[in-house]
Amino acid sequence: MWVTDMLQSEKRSLFRFLGIYLSSTFLLFFLATVIFYAFQKHQIIDAQKDKLKQEAVKITAELTLLHETFSSSLIYPYKEPFKSAIYNLDREYIFGSFKPKHLVWDKEAYQESNQLIYIHALHPYYLGASYLVVSTKLDAKPLNDLFTISILFIVIAGLFFTLLGFFLGKLFIMPMKESMESMNRFIEDTTHELNTPISTILTNIELMDALYDCEGKTEMRRIEIASKTLSRLYEDLSYLKLNHNYHRQIERVDFTGLLYDRIEYFHTLIEAKKIYLKVNLAEAITLDIDKNDAIRMVDNLLSNAIKYNRKEGNLEVTLTDEKLRIKNSGMGIKKEEIKHIQHRFKRANRSEGGFGIGLDIVGQVVKRYGFNFKIFSTYTKHTEVLITW
Amino acid sequence: MVKTVSIYIVFFFFLDSKALAQSKVEHRCMGCHIRQKIPSELIYRRYLMKYSTHKKIRKVMLAYLKEPKKENSIMPKQFFLKFPLKKAEDTNSSDLVQDIERYLEYLDIREKFVLP
Repeated sequence: MWVTDMLQSEKRSLFRFLGIYLSSTFLLFFLATVIFYAFQKHQIIDAQKDKLKQEAVKITAELTLLHETFSSSLIYPYKEPFKSAIYNLDREYIFGSFKPKHLVWDKEAYQESNQLIYIHALHPYYLGASYLVVSTKLDAKPLNDLFTISILFIVIAGLFFTLLGFFLGKLFIMPMKESMESMNRFIEDTTHELNTPISTILTNIELMDALYDCEGKTEMRRIEIASKTLSRLYEDLSYLKLNHNYHRQIERVDFTGLLYDRIEYFHTLIEAKKIYLKVNLAEAITLDIDKNDAIRMVDNLLSNAIKYNRKEGNLEVTLTDEKLRIKNSGMGIKKEEIKHIQHRFKRANRSEGGFGIGLDIVGQVVKRYGFNFKIFSTYTKHTEVLITW
Repeated sequence: MVKTVSIYIVFFFFLDSKALAQSKVEHRCMGCHIRQKIPSELIYRRYLMKYSTHKKIRKVMLAYLKEPKKENSIMPKQFFLKFPLKKAEDTNSSDLVQDIERYLEYLDIREKFVLP
């Protein structure tokens, strides 16, 4: 479904909207159904009580007739499914087709387990009967039918409102989706246009470095740093753009070697900022990973550690059997910023350039391979990034 | 054997006491009622319809038998045009109470009812 094509923020907005919308709608419908069920149940029971009342009137008429005839044998009026009994003014049992163990005299009609009981007061006391108690078994079928209908109603209404919610949610996030798409299109176009000139600059710098003994070494290095920064930015943006369609080739990568290569790649940048580099890499550490994923992860971590470091600061890169640790002596991150720092376009510090996509890429790689990713930082002191596998 | 004999004794004693009570009612109450054609069941029915319980009937019957007046009777005035007003009973109250009890037992509505 189209939900799978959404960005994390879009999904979050949609699910928040659906959560509020569906929970409030379900609560409203549930309450309405409960009230409807209670009302209808009352009506059904009342209708059955009315039948008891009608039967009581019939029995009373027959008792009156018996009183008039008063023959030696009085045949008690008894018709299934109703049972009845007569009581005198002191509520003592006279006769009946049943003898209830317990009666609630202060109620005219009530339900006891599955029996409906109606107490009909008589006056005058024909045959000495002051009360006529009529009872019948509660007909559960209409109540069961009502229950089934209520449940069906909740289920059907639930399905309908869930679908409606998805449709409304889609409309709701449409503007956000459009703005994200236009931003992505812009990045795509920009990166495409940047690719050729960056490649040309870097190739020519390498050629000039190899072929000519150039006098402006410092200026050349600056051009190289700037070009590499642009090149990395291009790689990152391409990676994000192609992430879903990119065919990964998982292979055993010499992670120690790869780390040495990437540190070498950033060497110009490290030297330019006069950062003291301390490298402590265990020998022959390998990981089952796509090489490009590994490069993007390491490049972004190193780039951030250099970019957000002090001039003449420290940078420690440590690799063991189970973890990669990169620690710098940079400006640090505020405690409240740490949990948001991995979100795309989020930057804790705007003093340096960038789009704020670096840790988003690292987060994606880490998630894809099931690694653990932790950031420890003391604001204005240092930041430590730890990846364990 | 002893148990069976005991049960028979109790049963016959019960039958005998009931028969005795019935003969007493017939002797002391119903004799006059039958001779003078006074409708006992009609009177009982009227008492039932007005008072519902034997407890109340016993009380008002006792009051009437001690002082039989038209005002104390449950029956309509016209009834006494046809049937004579009873003379006051000279028996003591406990005998009278027992007679009323036997009379009510004799006519007891509960004994008349049957299920179809």
